[in-house]
Amino acid sequence: MKKRMRVLASVFAVSMALTTLTACGGKGDSKSAEASDPNAKDTITALLPPVSGNFQDTFADIQKEFTEKYPNLTLKIEPASWEDMTQKLDTQVNAGSPPDIAFIGSDGISKYVDQGMALDIKDIATPEMINDYDKGPLEYMKKGDGLYGFPAYMEVHALGGNREFLEKAGIDWKKVQQQGWTFDEFREAIKKGVVSEGGKTSRYGFVFATAGVTSKDYLGILIKNAGMPSAFTQDLKYAYTSKNYLEVLKDIRALIDDGSMPKELSSIDAGKRWNMFLTGQTMITGKGMATFEKSANTNNEKIKANDGSAVKGSIPVTYTVLPVPSFLGEKAVSSVAVDGYVAFRGKKEPSEAHKQNVVKALYFLASGKVAATTNNDLFVAQITESGRKAAESMPVERDADNKAAVETMLKNAAPARPDIPAELEAKAIKLEDEVIVPKLQALIAGEIKPEEMYDAVKSAAVSAFGEDGVVKD
Amino acid sequence: MALYSEHTGKPAAKRARNGVIIIILILFALATIFPIYFMIMSSFGDPIEAGAANYSLFPTKFTLDSYKFFFDYSEYSYRWLLNSLIVATTVMVSNVFFASLAGYAFSKIKFKGRTVLFTILLIAMMIPYQVTQVPLYILIVNIFNIQNTYSALILPGLVTVYNIFLAKQFMGSIPGEILECAKIEGCNQFQIYFRIILPLSKTVLAVMAILTFMDSWNTFFWPFLVTNTMDMQTIQVGLKNFRFANTTYFAPMMAGATISALPMFILFFSLQKYFLEGVTVGAVKG
Amino acid sequence: MAQLAKPAKRRRIRGDGAWAYAFIAVALVVFAMFTAYPVVSAFIISFQKYKPIGSEYVGFDNYIATFKDSLFWKSVVNTVVYTILTVPVSLIISFAIAILILPLKKKLQTTFKAVYYLPAVASGVALSVVWLWIFDPMPEGIFNKLISLFGISNQNWLGSSATSMFSLVLMAWLSSHGTSIIIYLAALLGIDSSYYEAADLDGANFFQKLWYIVIPSLKPTTLFLLVTGVIGSFQVFQNAYLMTGGGPDNSTTMVGLLIFNNAFKYFEFGKAAAQSLVLAAIIALISLVQFKFMGKDVEY
Repeated sequence: MKKRMRVLASVFAVSMALTTLTACGGKGDSKSAEASDPNAKDTITALLPPVSGNFQDTFADIQKEFTEKYPNLTLKIEPASWEDMTQKLDTQVNAGSPPDIAFIGSDGISKYVDQGMALDIKDIATPEMINDYDKGPLEYMKKGDGLYGFPAYMEVHALGGNREFLEKAGIDWKKVQQQGWTFDEFREAIKKGVVSEGGKTSRYGFVFATAGVTSKDYLGILIKNAGMPSAFTQDLKYAYTSKNYLEVLKDIRALIDDGSMPKELSSIDAGKRWNMFLTGQTMITGKGMATFEKSANTNNEKIKANDGSAVKGSIPVTYTVLPVPSFLGEKAVSSVAVDGYVAFRGKKEPSEAHKQNVVKALYFLASGKVAATTNNDLFVAQITESGRKAAESMPVERDADNKAAVETMLKNAAPARPDIPAELEAKAIKLEDEVIVPKLQALIAGEIKPEEMYDAVKSAAVSAFGEDGVVKD
Repeated sequence: MALYSEHTGKPAAKRARNGVIIIILILFALATIFPIYFMIMSSFGDPIEAGAANYSLFPTKFTLDSYKFFFDYSEYSYRWLLNSLIVATTVMVSNVFFASLAGYAFSKIKFKGRTVLFTILLIAMMIPYQVTQVPLYILIVNIFNIQNTYSALILPGLVTVYNIFLAKQFMGSIPGEILECAKIEGCNQFQIYFRIILPLSKTVLAVMAILTFMDSWNTFFWPFLVTNTMDMQTIQVGLKNFRFANTTYFAPMMAGATISALPMFILFFSLQKYFLEGVTVGAVKG
Repeated sequence: MAQLAKPAKRRRIRGDGAWAYAFIAVALVVFAMFTAYPVVSAFIISFQKYKPIGSEYVGFDNYIATFKDSLFWKSVVNTVVYTILTVPVSLIISFAIAILILPLKKKLQTTFKAVYYLPAVASGVALSVVWLWIFDPMPEGIFNKLISLFGISNQNWLGSSATSMFSLVLMAWLSSHGTSIIIYLAALLGIDSSYYEAADLDGANFFQKLWYIVIPSLKPTTLFLLVTGVIGSFQVFQNAYLMTGGGPDNSTTMVGLLIFNNAFKYFEFGKAAAQSLVLAAIIALISLVQFKFMGKDVEY
């Protein structure tokens, strides 16, 4: 009995250990097409976020249509939410086995290029593919000489106003949409938007989401209109040590001190400010994206239906696109986000045939019907010829003035800067995260003065880029 | 008899004491329970997009639409629950068994290298997860090649240092004399473990079971990393798909969170009789 | 008899050792594969400028950079402050609640345990949404409404460096005791009632019993909760990540968050590995102190 129990226990323990080990066998990886035969069967993997509200619902159709077009190819799409997919992609990239395609913001490309894991498709993409794209957005997918994917859209970061309130405050929104405004005009305008009684403000002139990392967007959008369209000047000097930078910081403080923006601004997040906009607690909000017009319209209908599903306390709102004001007589430059489908490679060099298949899938996703549907869903402009053609038959209910305003702003879009070396860019990102954002949060919370923040940024910039690497004026 | 005085013959005093205790407990419970209350309450709201979150203390509307929305959202909703159940149950059973075995060995059997081995285990616990994640991913995906399988989800969690430590701490307080007696009566170590240690450790093993189950059930990141098709995802991974770019389907997310919390309730109440029974050494002796 | 017992005993000891190794075999295999191997990899990576293809060895550069980085030390200080403010208080709260639950009737016991355990059951992300609302900076936020009853003016809870750390600590105080409570209860139920009987005979009152019986008996449990609590607290970053993003002015940047950012945001994996190992060394040191002060009576 004694012996048997002991043997039994050991056998059990050993067999458990073995089960753990036998998992080592595993099945092979059928991902890359071994043969260089372009007609060989191949699977392309793609990691895609919910680009638009309906995007992930269409995956099944996309996969089916892709295989209909290229019978030997299978597109395997894996959905993920925005923030999670970045983390997953980063882990996969670090492990040396990313998916073939991922949808990311163009500002993320450089770190993958630096790791050597982004796939340069410059020589693989056909001229027809490349010529299909508008030049502006396509540039954003480049880094140095390489082209690393195709753009899906170029979204302007604008402001959004409540039309009724704007008119009440005597603001000629149509003129602003067409000609833009200066910071001083903007400052006066939002002062007029404030409604308060006995020291309590029931409506602010302007609210921007600045909680946590979103504060980065706020400064980024403003600073482009103050003569600094990029963190680096044309001769690759760090731009944010310029005097204009300090002036913008002072202006940020001024809007809060005027009482036009809430003093609790530093912890208002994206959801909160949208709630404030819909409930009439602010006249203008930011950042404003094209799709907000759609959300506002949806809520208006719910108010009309009166079934309790509308946002609590919300009022009907006519969403009005407004440009960001320009500072110090500088040219207005719109901040844009170009997102797109980026190609990746694994540790092992992929075969030529597989590379070509990846590009086919990239182009399939980023042009024609797929692009047209998604962009319409988002209310953003088409940036491919084939997309525009496909969109002709898809009606969109959009305010004509808003559409025109966005188009005007797109003309002033900040140009892409593929010439900035990855190393400089990485330093700038780190400086932004570790100095600019924390100090900006403190500035907005009223804990430090604009000058203190400016000095902190300047000294950090000098130690990162050297005395000669920064702008002095 | 016990820690508390029985107030024999003074029922009023006992009632007063318990009354005070209950009031204190309720007050603190209110603070703790509030987020859960809010979660459940908002799950009965409309499946609308947030920005939109209706922040109010009391429900403005009662509808099960969000639950329907959750199950309709993906054909895999049930599958996610099932996957989570399979993974969490396996991990729970294997942890209770192997961690209690190891905990017993570390606390009650003297063997060469015991202290050194245990120290190594503890130190490894102190390395933050963020750095071991990539090597672990390389191991599972690039070396073992088992991504998107139950093995990938289960293996790394088969037995955790936390549980071994927990078992060791509890078993350490079982008096050595009982074990000596058993040995003299001719029991071998496995019999001692099975006949004496396990029954005496019921309470802590029940606790370990529920903690492990919950932990495994709530894990998001690892299953997210190693699965790449919807049918292999766990409920937590599936739930996260509700979070969208600038908006969130608020009520359905809360409904999903409520649904995903349910199995834990069931487990909790089915194991609670073990939590409540003090297993006394004396009882076994006699 | 004596002669017979001797060889039997020796065999038993040798046998016991074999049993012990068999008992820990699976645990060790799992550990070696899924914990030790990654840790060793991380150790190697900490001397590299890591890239998926072609990492370069850089000697101690990553460690030197870590020691020079003022943000790293700031975040260590933040983490230590957070740990000191939360872990002991949480232990005391859990202990007190476990003691208070003990005399109640079974049904009530279960109810309260369930209630306190609930928050651990719900997903952190769903709960963080609720907490953001509780800390809403505008006058309609829950805490702001609450303190206005006492005539205190509106606070910008998470948005000001004066209150952001306190807000995170408050959040820890009001939630997440469930695990410790049920572990404490399990330990309380394991105390042999003969100790109480003896104390009753000596005429000990409640607090004497608490001090001389309960607290010493719970020492192994307290040590366990303390060590794992400190480890957990040092590695935590989710709260800060979801609630404040480390701000404002880095007032809530925790080491965990910094390591996460280095590893994934900046792809400086070698540096992240070096920082983790430094962090692990710090935790190990603290744990050592805890074992020294608390671990003495644990062995029976």
